[in-house]
Amino acid sequence: MLARIPQTRALHWLGKQLFNRTDPAAFFDPLLETVDPMLVQGQTLARVEQIVQETADTRTFVLKPAARWAGFQAGQHVNICVEINGVLRTRTFSLSSSPELWAKQGLVTLTIKRLPGGLVTNWLHDNLRDGQVLGLGAAFGDFLLPETAQPVLFIAGGSGITPVLSHLETMAAQDFRAPVTLLYFVRTQQDIIASERLHALERRYTALTLKIIQTDESDKPRYLKSQDLEAVPGLKARQVFLCGPMGLMDLANKQLHEHGVRETDIHSTFFSTVAPALNADLANQALGGKVQFGKSNLQASSEGDASLLEIAEASGLSPRHGCRMGICHQCSCRKTSGTVVNRLTGKASGPGEESVQLCISIPHGPVSIEI
Amino acid sequence: MKQMTENQLQELAQDLNSIRDEIVADLGERDANYIRRVIRLHRALEVGGRVMMPFGFIPPVFVAATVSLGLSKIIENMEIGHNVMHGQYDWMNDPSLHSQSYEWDTACSSDSWRRTHNYEHHTYTNIIGKDRDYGYALLRLSDDEKWHPAHSLQFLSYIMLSVFFQWGVSLHELEFERVRRGEIRMRDKIPFLKDTLRKGGRQVFKDYVFFPLITFPVAPIVLAGNLGANLMRNLWSSTVIFCGHFTEDAETFDEKDCENESKGHWYLRQLTGSSNFTGNKLMHLLSGHLSYQVEHHIFPDLPAHRYPEVSEKVQEVCRKYGIHYNTGSFRHQYGTVVKRILKYSLPDRLRMRLESQPA
Repeated sequence: MLARIPQTRALHWLGKQLFNRTDPAAFFDPLLETVDPMLVQGQTLARVEQIVQETADTRTFVLKPAARWAGFQAGQHVNICVEINGVLRTRTFSLSSSPELWAKQGLVTLTIKRLPGGLVTNWLHDNLRDGQVLGLGAAFGDFLLPETAQPVLFIAGGSGITPVLSHLETMAAQDFRAPVTLLYFVRTQQDIIASERLHALERRYTALTLKIIQTDESDKPRYLKSQDLEAVPGLKARQVFLCGPMGLMDLANKQLHEHGVRETDIHSTFFSTVAPALNADLANQALGGKVQFGKSNLQASSEGDASLLEIAEASGLSPRHGCRMGICHQCSCRKTSGTVVNRLTGKASGPGEESVQLCISIPHGPVSIEI
Repeated sequence: MKQMTENQLQELAQDLNSIRDEIVADLGERDANYIRRVIRLHRALEVGGRVMMPFGFIPPVFVAATVSLGLSKIIENMEIGHNVMHGQYDWMNDPSLHSQSYEWDTACSSDSWRRTHNYEHHTYTNIIGKDRDYGYALLRLSDDEKWHPAHSLQFLSYIMLSVFFQWGVSLHELEFERVRRGEIRMRDKIPFLKDTLRKGGRQVFKDYVFFPLITFPVAPIVLAGNLGANLMRNLWSSTVIFCGHFTEDAETFDEKDCENESKGHWYLRQLTGSSNFTGNKLMHLLSGHLSYQVEHHIFPDLPAHRYPEVSEKVQEVCRKYGIHYNTGSFRHQYGTVVKRILKYSLPDRLRMRLESQPA
């Protein structure tokens, strides 16, 4: 099998000489993919094995990655890559299955909700079918379970349940011996994702206490309350995992703090696909500035919180990019001068030459970029 | 050059911009499928050529292998490499088709090409003294340059340049004529030379060392076939490129006329300094659609397979402003190139005397 050719350094060097590319194995991809797309070497692909409708707007895609995919730990996410109208689009999703399923059956699952106006999520729902393939990057992220059994509390909202499903399946499979509580917030009964799997877990894995809370079923919205946390035995000794919309995350952080849960015991993962609002400090700063695109010999000016990627695209450039949310680093390039503000952290960069991610960097005064 | 008022030039720029906007808005799956199909064809031809080559002791197989490898190099250089490096497919966001990282199958390094071709030639097109592609600092192709006795043999120089075209292109950025005149120092060219040596060495190693050696008993045949394929590519690409700017009616410009020029003036210069040739689909593919040099020069970063449809609209614009749209059959256009090379190899007085005689 071609996929089994050992990737030794000498062979890689030779490949570079012969095919003029840094990924010589990918030279044959255009031919291989006509035989079987899964033979492609340039990226790791996964084939859709099954699609499960979870709720009206959420589906679970069961994927079989190519054997060389390196695997993952529960709670991690992956970049997936699909071609939509000729353009490769990369987005990040949490894996919703356990590493055990991957080890035993070579399968992983992604549970994806349609986002209103979302290009990729809607395309996946409308176009992705059994047997099709998509690009699957290496797993990453540190939303990981404690290594030794300790009491755990999960607070999840909406499709933020996905990494938690991976956690719970893993804990059940490993018989994680410590109290585990899940507070799962959904809008209505119909919005419960993986309802059957959760109830099956509850029956099978006795350490788990499952509490599903519908926020929109009564006249007044029913959000996270202090009593919800009080009802969790030994709250202060628990490792807390948060995943959900911004509102829930903020509320949970605040209340956990009030209940004396230490900052170091709270783990949260980035969930929202829209760029989070800039923090107050940042909003007060004057953002924008003149941007000089060095290689293209172009200038643009911007106001407000437009990212360098957006400014470059508005100027007619098409820099390489991926997730557009600061994760995949496809768009990283050299800033030769000027200060940028990171849209995610609100922190300002140094003024000198360094690599920046175009999609989350907002000019703060004049900036020069090597594109 | 045709004289147009600033208002007319502004209107010209608007007309051409709107043609461009229309195509940009329509880019998508069709373009992605097109370039992927061409890449598949290239891979099949290269793999086919290399696999057949060791069996070249059978004469028809030798011809098939050499032509297959030659065509693969032509397609890779002209329709894939040149066009990808212009950023024609950057919008696809495919790292293997990105203008800034693509490396092509020829001696010239992509970085050097992006500087000398994408930037210098496409910005200063046909400005004598600024566009070093005009005559490649080797040929005298207009009377802007003073005649020198060495020019009388320039047809031979042209043949040599065509035969060794990939090496000529790879050393273009050395600017040897300026080094000789003492305008720049050789020392400053060391990084360029290192880069060129690495890329050129890689090409020599591949075609003239590695593939002959691994087929040892038939090494001479493989070597000959690879030389043949490179020669085929060299002659063809040189011919296509010469047809792009050195035909009879392709105009040249003076540096002072182009200072602080408007976008409209730049467009006009591209329209009048470039020339097309007609042909069938295969000709367009093999020329990387540089058979639509005019369209390529006004819209260098639109996917080249769009030029035929763009061409209709560009011709309409040219008619509207009375701008000469330079096209003709391949034979005719190439004929005028050869004539131009010969004509300007003569001293001006002799040339003018010949020109004044009825043909």
